[in-house]
Amino acid sequence: MQLLLFNAFNGLIQGVFYALMALGLALILSLNSVINMAHGGFLVIGAYLAYTLSPYLGFWGALIVGPLLAGVIGLAVERGLIRPIYKRSDPLYSLLLTFGLALIIEDLTRTIWGAQGLPLEVPDVINSPVSETYFFITGYRLFVIGITAAAAIGLYLLLRYTLLGIRIRAGTSDLETTAALGVNIYKLRALNFGFGCLFAGLAGVLAAGVLGLTPPMGNSLIMPSFVAIIIGGVGSLFGAVLGGLLIGLAAGIVTTYYPAASEAVIYLMMLIVLAVRPRGLLGEEGLFE
Amino acid sequence: MQAKVSRRRLVQAGAALAASTLSSPPILTYAQGETPIKIGMHDPLTGTYAAEGESEVRGANMALAEINAKGGMLGRKVQLVVEDDAANAGLASQKATKMIDQDKVSMLMGSVSSATALAVNQVAHGRGVVYMVTGGHTDPVTGSQCHWTTFRICTTTYMLAAGLAGTLYKKFGGKWYFITPDYAFGHTLQESYAKLLKDLGGTVLGNSLSPLGTTDFSSYLIKAEQSKPDVLINLTDGQDLVNCMKQAAQFGLMKKFPIGGGLSELEVLRALPKEARQGWWTLEWWWDQPNTPHVKEWVAAYQKIHTDGTWPSARTWFGYAGLHSLGLGVAKAKSLEPVKVARALEGLELPDEIKLQPNKVYFRPGDHQLMSSEFPGEDLPDGTYPNLFKVADIVAGDKIALSVKDTGCHLDYKA
Repeated sequence: MQLLLFNAFNGLIQGVFYALMALGLALILSLNSVINMAHGGFLVIGAYLAYTLSPYLGFWGALIVGPLLAGVIGLAVERGLIRPIYKRSDPLYSLLLTFGLALIIEDLTRTIWGAQGLPLEVPDVINSPVSETYFFITGYRLFVIGITAAAAIGLYLLLRYTLLGIRIRAGTSDLETTAALGVNIYKLRALNFGFGCLFAGLAGVLAAGVLGLTPPMGNSLIMPSFVAIIIGGVGSLFGAVLGGLLIGLAAGIVTTYYPAASEAVIYLMMLIVLAVRPRGLLGEEGLFE
Repeated sequence: MQAKVSRRRLVQAGAALAASTLSSPPILTYAQGETPIKIGMHDPLTGTYAAEGESEVRGANMALAEINAKGGMLGRKVQLVVEDDAANAGLASQKATKMIDQDKVSMLMGSVSSATALAVNQVAHGRGVVYMVTGGHTDPVTGSQCHWTTFRICTTTYMLAAGLAGTLYKKFGGKWYFITPDYAFGHTLQESYAKLLKDLGGTVLGNSLSPLGTTDFSSYLIKAEQSKPDVLINLTDGQDLVNCMKQAAQFGLMKKFPIGGGLSELEVLRALPKEARQGWWTLEWWWDQPNTPHVKEWVAAYQKIHTDGTWPSARTWFGYAGLHSLGLGVAKAKSLEPVKVARALEGLELPDEIKLQPNKVYFRPGDHQLMSSEFPGEDLPDGTYPNLFKVADIVAGDKIALSVKDTGCHLDYKA
């Protein structure tokens, strides 16, 4: 029983991490209509930049500046590569483009920083368990939960109460009308893409604290967040968070009884959701179908 | 009207991402000459074993340069064709077949993952091509699935376990919990350890199988902690080992019980933060051997080529010794004829400037396994790269290897 409790708890913590990545992905998917296959790439960029900067800025400084730089690079990528293909009606173009970009980023990372794994040192303050019994609840993991909660709430407030947020939501539901009302949708979409990449970069730095850095780290981390979005519902940011938590919890519970299936269970859940409720748990009908 | 992204498209995209590792172009290393002898090398250049794969390729390229500087093989220049197998068995056998058919390679070498070594073992035997396994450790490669075409540089999983099991038992006690990578290498290594532990009088408390490429080890570590072991035996390798040790350190598990394992590598030690760099492991080669001839010169030669601040690892040596062994075999056979090369390699002893370790190092005729040494020892948490490991002993390979009869290997030259 204790083992089940531990694993369920542990799965939830893992789910928080999936949720953070799924948020950025969902943001870009909604307003930019881009399935950002390079999301893992921006995660890697944020992590490696933080690694490079941490000797100068310390962990805390790098945690802020790394993701910001990933966001700025995201802005540049949007302006140079994504914007010219918005007018193509088939989303396959942007999918292929970002897919190629993901491969380029991974190889560039390998060229610049090498194929060997690198450690990101985490400050001692948060690098130990908070209790002897619940040893799997480390200061660092609590910290990740805190950051994710802050980011999710911050994003919610931004979308709900600021002019920028209202425009992003308006653009998501009807881009043409929003543009006709005089909103500069190009600027809006650029900002939104930058935000998404910033989230990816943040997830990257946080992941590097547990996993260290390797050029392909983005790919293995990004798959569950795709699943989280599909389960939670395409088009719903809250759904993305919910999806992330759900798959984390499910993997945690299954691992207690049948560890070999703990990876498969999230795809099984996706299968069931797709069969029973294709729009996902919180997805809106018609919006993305 | 803007097209929206459909759910269907998103699912397709995910599938495409998963399949994306299946295609990438080969890397050719050209040497001069009219009709070069081509040797095909498969190694993971991407994925969890990418660092190890790169080291093997670097080692092979060092040997390549030396061989060509001395006139090549049989007076012909040698060319290395390198293919990325992404540590994926299906991909490895595809690439091996491609190198035989399209690139017309005369011999094959490579592997970090045991799964790829087993796959290419079958391909090479089917096509009658000599295959030098550089880094796939699982027993059957030179055991139950051995073939006359296959030779192996790195040690067997049994040898890895046998080099360390006694020390772990004596130092820490007999109740062991295992975390084992879920494929050929992990399975045979864990079986060897379990058998050795039983003979010593200890018990296996449990065994968690982790898929290759696992990033989150927390659930396995929770199970291990709940079993209250005398020692946690961590059999993962590559980036998986890095992730597992980092998380164990963050959970404070090193304060509760010691951790030991099968195989560690310089590539892994370098990626570990100091609090996770602990425990007893086996290495298969080490750069710091003050009393062994040629080692210092070889390290210097490596660093003259690679100015990225890295030091050669066991993997570098695998690639180096692998290509040189093929060269020695061809020279002794005075032919590229696979049967003649294989016969020439049987019993072949590596000279000092290639073996780079004490003890007699030779290909055992009965199973084609190289009898190279194990370097068991302890991680140094306070060390700095490359001083990250203290070698406790250098154990001769033929002292700990299973006898040819016990490996289950029957070489059949007719088949």
